[in-house]
Amino acid sequence: MEKRKININKAEVIRFLGYREKRPGKDVMSIIDECENALQEVMMPAFTFRILGLRHKYEGIDVMGTDLTLEGNDIARHLSGCDRCALMAATVSVGADRLIKSYEAQDMTKALVADAVASAAVEALCDDAVTEISNRTRSFLTWRYSPGYGDLSLDIQPVLLDILNAQRQVGITLGENNIMIPRKSVTAIIGLSNRSLDLGRQSCEKSCKNCRMRYKCAYSEY
Amino acid sequence: MTGKLKTLFDNKQMIILDGAMGTMLQQNGLKMGELPEKLNLDRPEWLIDIHKQYIAAGSDIIYTNTFGANRLKLKRCGYTVEETVRAAVKNARAAAEDTGTLVALDIGPIGQMLEPTGTLSFEEAYDIIREQVVAGSEADLIVFETMSDLYELKAGVLAAKENSDLPIICTLTFESNLRTFTGTSISSSALTLESLGIDAIGVNCSLGPKELYPIVEEMSKWTNLPLVVKPNAGLPDPVTNEYDCSPEEFTELMKAFIPLGVKFLGGCCGTAPEYIRQVSEMSAGALYQPQHNDIPAAVCCATNTVVIDQPRIIGERINPTGKKRFKEALLAGDIDYILSQAIEQTDAGADILDVNVGLPSIDEKAMMIRAVKELQGVVDVPLQIDSTIPEVLEAALRIYNGKPIVNSVNGEEKSLNTVLPLVKKYGASVVGLTLDENGIPKKAEERFAIAQRILDRALVIDIRKEDVYIDCLTLTASAEQENVYETVKAVEMVKTRLGLRTVLGVSNISFGLPNRELVNCNFLQMALTKGLDLPIMNPNIGSMTGAVRAYKLLMNIDVNSVDFISHYSGQEDKPKPAAGEKVTMDLPSAVASGLKAECRSITKELLKTTEPMEIVNTMLIPALDKAGAEFEKGKLFLPQLIQTASASQVCFEVIKEHILATGEKTVSKGKIILATVKGDIHDIGKNIVKVLLENYGYDVLDLGRDVDCQLVVDEAIKNEVPLVGLSALMTTTLGSMETTVKLLKEQYPECKIMVGGAVVTPDYAEQIGADYYANDAKESVDIARRVFGN
Repeated sequence: MEKRKININKAEVIRFLGYREKRPGKDVMSIIDECENALQEVMMPAFTFRILGLRHKYEGIDVMGTDLTLEGNDIARHLSGCDRCALMAATVSVGADRLIKSYEAQDMTKALVADAVASAAVEALCDDAVTEISNRTRSFLTWRYSPGYGDLSLDIQPVLLDILNAQRQVGITLGENNIMIPRKSVTAIIGLSNRSLDLGRQSCEKSCKNCRMRYKCAYSEY
Repeated sequence: MTGKLKTLFDNKQMIILDGAMGTMLQQNGLKMGELPEKLNLDRPEWLIDIHKQYIAAGSDIIYTNTFGANRLKLKRCGYTVEETVRAAVKNARAAAEDTGTLVALDIGPIGQMLEPTGTLSFEEAYDIIREQVVAGSEADLIVFETMSDLYELKAGVLAAKENSDLPIICTLTFESNLRTFTGTSISSSALTLESLGIDAIGVNCSLGPKELYPIVEEMSKWTNLPLVVKPNAGLPDPVTNEYDCSPEEFTELMKAFIPLGVKFLGGCCGTAPEYIRQVSEMSAGALYQPQHNDIPAAVCCATNTVVIDQPRIIGERINPTGKKRFKEALLAGDIDYILSQAIEQTDAGADILDVNVGLPSIDEKAMMIRAVKELQGVVDVPLQIDSTIPEVLEAALRIYNGKPIVNSVNGEEKSLNTVLPLVKKYGASVVGLTLDENGIPKKAEERFAIAQRILDRALVIDIRKEDVYIDCLTLTASAEQENVYETVKAVEMVKTRLGLRTVLGVSNISFGLPNRELVNCNFLQMALTKGLDLPIMNPNIGSMTGAVRAYKLLMNIDVNSVDFISHYSGQEDKPKPAAGEKVTMDLPSAVASGLKAECRSITKELLKTTEPMEIVNTMLIPALDKAGAEFEKGKLFLPQLIQTASASQVCFEVIKEHILATGEKTVSKGKIILATVKGDIHDIGKNIVKVLLENYGYDVLDLGRDVDCQLVVDEAIKNEVPLVGLSALMTTTLGSMETTVKLLKEQYPECKIMVGGAVVTPDYAEQIGADYYANDAKESVDIARRVFGN
């Protein structure tokens, strides 16, 4: 297992920094480069996933072989038509947290930029995970749905991480308020099906158009 | 250690551990995501059966099913730690009855990250593990396994040692880049844990035996303890969840570990009794091969080991002596200032940082704990704990993550008796000062005699010779010129005759003289050539750090001048401003462009002719206002706004120093408390707000993140602040924000409250009774201006 290198999407970094149509000037661009280099140095990106069967019931969806039942209308919509799911967890590691904290003590601009770069990094890592899930399962995939989205409770986080053995596999820990550390970590549920899914409703792309926060969010394209 | 265990440890036989527990339980019907530990009480027969299978396969030691049996994880199932652990030990004992198999109390990671990256305090981690240790007192030994955070492991080892007499084995999980997920290195874990006095060390989980080989090989270079290897059955397939290494392959690969000094063999995820049976058969004829490596003199933090095999710079700047600005920071509890001093020094080339926060009017112990905790969160170098008070030393040694240096012990009986046992207990290195009841001896020979005495006393209590560094003490040349060379002579004697590492505070030599840098630099060079290993000095002075680098080049330590060239090549090409050249830029435009160096020099120049308050009001604030207005219009973006604010912060820092030096009136426009609420650790937004507020002249008392609700109220009342700002980023922590607002309104109604953060909305702010909602950092400044009327 070689250290994974992440291809960070600069456009996404720029968007996270609050820029819209306008591009940052040379000075900010060079800070982005500097932060990205420093982060690539300290991050230990890792993801893990499990493919598990689903049993749709009136009260919720059982993830087979596990202690997890997914409740709520939004996750039901997300997984409709799927007989399996991939549970996944991805993180860029505490190296990123530490670097950002160290920047905060010396240069707040760098801290801000590094935070945005690390956010873009974990998104890119999730994309890599989805690609691997897709390659390994040769199934149709929904997009990534995370605990806390819509009416899917964040309270499933401890069980989800335990199923994935996430602390051992990728080093994700969970605090009292279900906050993951490393901070730049993602858990998600992806629906799998052998039949083509209705892409109009639930595209496998992660996109603002699929998000119900699209008219409220500061980073939205809408 | 007694009985069978002692025999096992002492003889040359290999010791066979058990294999996976979790997968065996899942085969019995445990669902993924369920707590395996509850089965100790619900299904004791499953556990007895699994233990018996491993005993039949040849395990000399079996692990109890208590990996996650801590109070945080058990919350989910309702059983207490005590009943779970006791039941688990009982099950193992039942299985082991009449077989002579030993029972190890298994302790895995707590599951939460320790501060400062996480929120779990070191003290709480200690207490959680203490509870497990006490409940497992009937076991034969204690095993910490699958650990990835050295800090948590240190809390665990202390909890085990202070609450039990059982032997301790520690195994960590490293990834293929030779680090754990928290960044802990192999050398750091071996150095730290062996110094803490554990009985065996090794690795488990994460990888198969093949991939673990280079990791164990590296570990064997850093310790002579018996090694432990408990690999997975190869690598898992995420789709099928099957491991790729058969019992035969596994056993074949395990053979290779024996010449590295491995005494304990077992299996982790994916292994089963058949793996253990084959490993047990394979090793029946093999003998443990103890290692006798020379473990180098070294200190470390969790992520970085500094080997003292060449001169290493100890930065001296974290010390209030003679520094007004530092004293003021200590009095104000301004930890950010201390952190900035640390980073400046490591950037300049310090390998180790001395930490001294002693000031008569503050609680040195509390400050030392806070400083060490914060420092180890942001710098990647080992620390030297510097205090004259043993209680302060002990407090810092306890919570230090790694192997630090203690500064210092001396030849006085009292010092030897109190400091050396602390050094031993917490596994540190120590600086020994060559002075005693009679003061500092004049002659080198007398100082050497004290060094000898310190060494002898250290050896008596089993402190390694490599961990004793002698300071032959620098005297000031202006007062005792005739004795300067005695110090240098003593360094040479200690180095050559005792074979000890030497340390020396360099800067004192020139006290009271002009051109101190020249004197310091020459003294440093003299000492280096006579064998000085650890100069304590100001690394920010280029010529001093340069002298060390040049010495290493000339002594062929910096082979091919790699380090030297990387620091100095291309430097001559940089255009230097001609002497006396006037800076033509004005302050507002320097601030607007975020040019920190220019801001510093222009502000210094301005202060000669302009009142501090005038600079703030007529130059800094208008520049910030302009940037703020453009930010609101969407012409300027957050990184640029922060750049402007950071540049202005440099000006403020210069002004602050000026005020401290001249005793003029402060420029404060009022005091504001900021905090990220209880449970929340996302504080970058709050920190941005802080920078901006400070640059508008407000004094910000930053309580940090994960701040207790009542603490905010107490601090607000104590400091009589008219405005408190609270931030939260997660929906799960909004409750803490509400509670904090409620407590403030009840106990300190005249205080105004502003709230903000990603999940906070104006409606929510109103609903919980906050006075103001701040959409961004700029708005928080507008609110402050309104509240303070300035």
